[in-house]
Amino acid sequence: MNTDELIAHSRSRFEHAAARRVLKEKYQAKMTFAHAGGLWQAGPELLTLLHTVKENNTVVLLDLYENPVQVIPKELVDLAQQRWQEQMTGWLLEYTETNKNR
Amino acid sequence: MTTGVLIFAYNNEHIDYLAMANWSAKNIRRHLNLPVCVVTNHPVPKEYEFEQVVYATTDNHNSRWFADIDSTVTWYNGNRSNAYELSPWDKTLVLDADYVVTSDQLAELLIIDQDFLCHRWAFDVTGMQPFDDNNFFGRHCMPMSWATVMIFRRSTVAELIFESMQMVRDNWDHYRNLYGILKSTFRNDFALSIAMNIVDGHTLSTPAIPWQLASVTPDHQLIQISQDSYRVDFTTADKKARWITLSHDFHAMGKQHLGAIVANHT
Repeated sequence: MNTDELIAHSRSRFEHAAARRVLKEKYQAKMTFAHAGGLWQAGPELLTLLHTVKENNTVVLLDLYENPVQVIPKELVDLAQQRWQEQMTGWLLEYTETNKNR
Repeated sequence: MTTGVLIFAYNNEHIDYLAMANWSAKNIRRHLNLPVCVVTNHPVPKEYEFEQVVYATTDNHNSRWFADIDSTVTWYNGNRSNAYELSPWDKTLVLDADYVVTSDQLAELLIIDQDFLCHRWAFDVTGMQPFDDNNFFGRHCMPMSWATVMIFRRSTVAELIFESMQMVRDNWDHYRNLYGILKSTFRNDFALSIAMNIVDGHTLSTPAIPWQLASVTPDHQLIQISQDSYRVDFTTADKKARWITLSHDFHAMGKQHLGAIVANHT
């Protein structure tokens, strides 16, 4: 076994993981948005839930702080969808750039 | 209802926190569109553009080793716990002078229904340090609440938290002993963590800012590469030079590097 190669590979993976973590922290923060007095995180879980109730006029959901908040599903799903797509696109661009630099 | 930012800026022999606050205020206006009130004991130069200035003396100070400056400096950190009575705003965002605002991310937290919020978790942006020692404190590994960013509105809960911080500050030896904190230096992070714990009935379930506090440690070099983009240079364990770019809000724990950035703008 070439231990130098192993060490170099391991360190490279460590640095790559660190860069990925920074990106994840950044974009997870950007997925967070306020609506109707509650705080929400755009993502598959919220979007899926909202799509199941979007025909309702109003619905009560738990926000990030587990507070029940009455929302209009159509309004919240539009905001969440927009936020999610914008930030995922930004995330992809930066992720691609990070990989390129390496 | 008024909303604004409060920055504490007590200069010492090495660090011009007032200049840092003035530079930060420009970023805050650009991204958050909020007025800034500075709390200081120094005369504010005419060219500095704070919406409000509160002059307050602070008797409480400590000596603290700053690795990037390579010396022990006087650290006037005692009256952060007076933020509730010093703030002119109904809803206040308290920021450290060395917290760098590069986005409107914090604005989301100003329109939600919460009495008090701060960061529960911080992380080293380079991934070089685990930060467990910073995210927990004392013999019993109590969870840390970071006083770097605090958001509060006039309410019983917020008032109790700040009053409890003052109680911890004024009886520091007792609380230090109770929580098994080895270092004698008083830190607002400790006082806030203990206060949150007391006010929340020791349930460890306090609402927190739902993302982590990005931190640049003093041993890493920080340079500005464009208006809202920064570069952190660091050395890996095998002495290789590496860098990452930051384009989101972060806490610059190394005052010297941030001081140099601020000086370039004045």
